[in-house]
Amino acid sequence: MAQHSAPLSRSADPWAAFGRLVAGVAIYGALGWVADHWLDTSFLLPVGIVLGTALGLWTTFTALRQA
Amino acid sequence: MISADVSRAEGFTPPGPGDFDLQPLFGGTYAFAKPGLQLILAAVLVLGFFVVTSRRAAMVPGKAQFAGEQAYGFVRNSIARDIIGSKDFMRFVPYLVSLFFFLLLNNVFGLIPFLQFPSFAKASFAYALAALTWVLYNGVGIWKHGLLGYLKLQSIPPGVHGPILLLIVPLEFISNLLVRPVTLALRLFANMFAGHLLLVLFTLGGEYLLLEADQVLYKPVGVVALLLAIAISFLELLVQFLQAYVFTLLTAMYVQGALAEEH
Repeated sequence: MAQHSAPLSRSADPWAAFGRLVAGVAIYGALGWVADHWLDTSFLLPVGIVLGTALGLWTTFTALRQA
Repeated sequence: MISADVSRAEGFTPPGPGDFDLQPLFGGTYAFAKPGLQLILAAVLVLGFFVVTSRRAAMVPGKAQFAGEQAYGFVRNSIARDIIGSKDFMRFVPYLVSLFFFLLLNNVFGLIPFLQFPSFAKASFAYALAALTWVLYNGVGIWKHGLLGYLKLQSIPPGVHGPILLLIVPLEFISNLLVRPVTLALRLFANMFAGHLLLVLFTLGGEYLLLEADQVLYKPVGVVALLLAIAISFLELLVQFLQAYVFTLLTAMYVQGALAEEH
């Protein structure tokens, strides 16, 4: 116990990137799907999935840059 | 000729998910089968091991005490202390040590003769274990930061400011509170399930080709399949250790994340 170890930073969890991507696709994909049903369109689901992926990637990059 | 051979090979029933529904040992409504027994056995063995190796702790450890301390020290130092940090880690060491060795034994049961079933190839077991981790890290976080403070910590990623938070907060919330426990359980369950299925396939297939298929040419293939089954057993040993390690490591990481200071 002589050596003092600081805790890892929060973003060190490698699965955080996976979680963010999955969550992004799931939420914005679901929102797109719901919007498609309401508006009687068919292009909002893929738009939501792409947007969710982009947001998940962006969050991962931003969080890692802070670490 | 070829089609006749193929139809003969169809006498072999390939293993599938059905092989994981074991006969209950006893009980009707709440049927109790081998995996449940293995959970109890593993708990008893882990408890027994650490009680026996630490009961008469001496300044100069004997062989048993040394083994116990090495096992404990591995999880304590290389998982708990390195991840959670030396300020808070001791409170979580008992749970992490028990978790790691409980998992390790249950996974290795997949290779122990007569047991030969990794308990966590049952998805419900893996989900229950992940639920424990989920309750632990959320409980710790709420205890440390209060409910609102904790939700803020888990839904606002570091370095994100301004109106884009509106889009990011639900994403980060789902990622930290819903995706985490599911992937934790899935990773353990799927690895154990696939490994067991692979072993069953190679041993049953090898046995069938060697002993039951009436084509002499199939017999050497059966021997190769059985040899591969042995090789895969060693691979499985590695996977079983790794999955126990990863599950414990991620539990420690989630606890550390829940304890982290707000940024």
